[in-house]
Amino acid sequence: MKEIDNPIEAPVDQSRTNPLARVFDELVRFCRSRSMFMLHYCTGCGAIELPPAMTSRFDMERLGIQPMVTPRQADILLITGYVSIKTLKRVILTYEQMGSPKYVIGICSCTVNGGMYWQSYATAKQLDQYLPVDLYIAGCMPRPEAVLEGMRKLMDRIRSGEADGWKDYYRRYDWYLGNQQHLFGDDWQTPADVIGEASHYDLAEPGTEGEHTRLLQQCQKPLEPQQTFFQIGGSLEKKGESHE
Amino acid sequence: MSKKVTPWLDNLLQEIEGVEIRRKDSRRVRIDIAADSLPTLLELLRGRAGYVHLSAITCVDWIDDGQFELVYQLWSYESQSLVSAHIRIAREPGVYVSVFDLYQPAAFFERDIHEMFGVYFEGSPDMSKFILTEWNGPPPMRKEFDAEAWVNETFEWKDYQPDWLKEITEQGGGIVKTPEEARQKKP
Repeated sequence: MKEIDNPIEAPVDQSRTNPLARVFDELVRFCRSRSMFMLHYCTGCGAIELPPAMTSRFDMERLGIQPMVTPRQADILLITGYVSIKTLKRVILTYEQMGSPKYVIGICSCTVNGGMYWQSYATAKQLDQYLPVDLYIAGCMPRPEAVLEGMRKLMDRIRSGEADGWKDYYRRYDWYLGNQQHLFGDDWQTPADVIGEASHYDLAEPGTEGEHTRLLQQCQKPLEPQQTFFQIGGSLEKKGESHE
Repeated sequence: MSKKVTPWLDNLLQEIEGVEIRRKDSRRVRIDIAADSLPTLLELLRGRAGYVHLSAITCVDWIDDGQFELVYQLWSYESQSLVSAHIRIAREPGVYVSVFDLYQPAAFFERDIHEMFGVYFEGSPDMSKFILTEWNGPPPMRKEFDAEAWVNETFEWKDYQPDWLKEITEQGGGIVKTPEEARQKKP
């Protein structure tokens, strides 16, 4: 734990001119790095290494790392193993639901380059083409020590402000979306409004919008409000429709 | 009932013509049969021999013969024995009759074979997509489907000589054998 407690030089953001703007930054980054709530999307065999990493021998929780149940509450998305194209859709959907700042860790060699499924027609090869991966933990499978080592590396990077993959997703959303459309077809869409979020975080850059986002906007269907159904006289009817 | 496949199975099978029986084991029988006679065989085995469990239907692509081989695995709880009935059907157009009316689990196996091999089963309740719901290419388990070519066309490979690795390689570390070298076929 020694190297973590060493002071880390943070990159200075020149655009912030207010002298008090950075007063709390280091504290905030420290707190973020010490409360890593993981959402582990257990796609493959790598998930087996997480229970030993969480339980008594290695005990992740002493480092402030613990599993979380929903994407909205989680900071880190753990992709543990091969990602089939079918799963990748759900992974992206999950990632876009998480609140920023959010980090992605790819565990196992399958997320790096397809691993032992490199020849499979159904397995996505490089996870970082579809999601901004902050850290890869290679190995087939990595042992709990390696998982913990990777987590501590991510802690360092969060604390020094280097782990900004989520910003990259907003800045180069068009490129990510293009890769996603290449696999899923031109009518691919998620309910999340990523461009709107990018402008909310003030991260909209030239790479945010482009030909792929224009393609998305052409076919994007707005979210429909949830319809409530209730029973009238044995027949199922929509609420609000006149019953005659 | 004895655990060996009893002679009455032989007597029963003699009622069907064009059957080739091979005993693989005391509890395993392989039956090769003409495709037209398979429903009759299954009806006999289910109705009179107690083979009530259809474990699986598997498909083999014999591309050089222009044929698909369908294997029906049947299990009897009474005699504790397995019968596998093999038929060959033409690869083109690859149509066969469903056995859903005899064995209801056949619906899933046939649906699976339909999307993996493109064999159409007439009379099966549902031939829509089952597992490969996001797949628009050709049936991937056919022999003519070249998975490696498809992968090379669709995906990009990671660069194994990035700049940050060159320093490590100079010091004697790094990747000893790149995947490109490993993938090259031996002469």
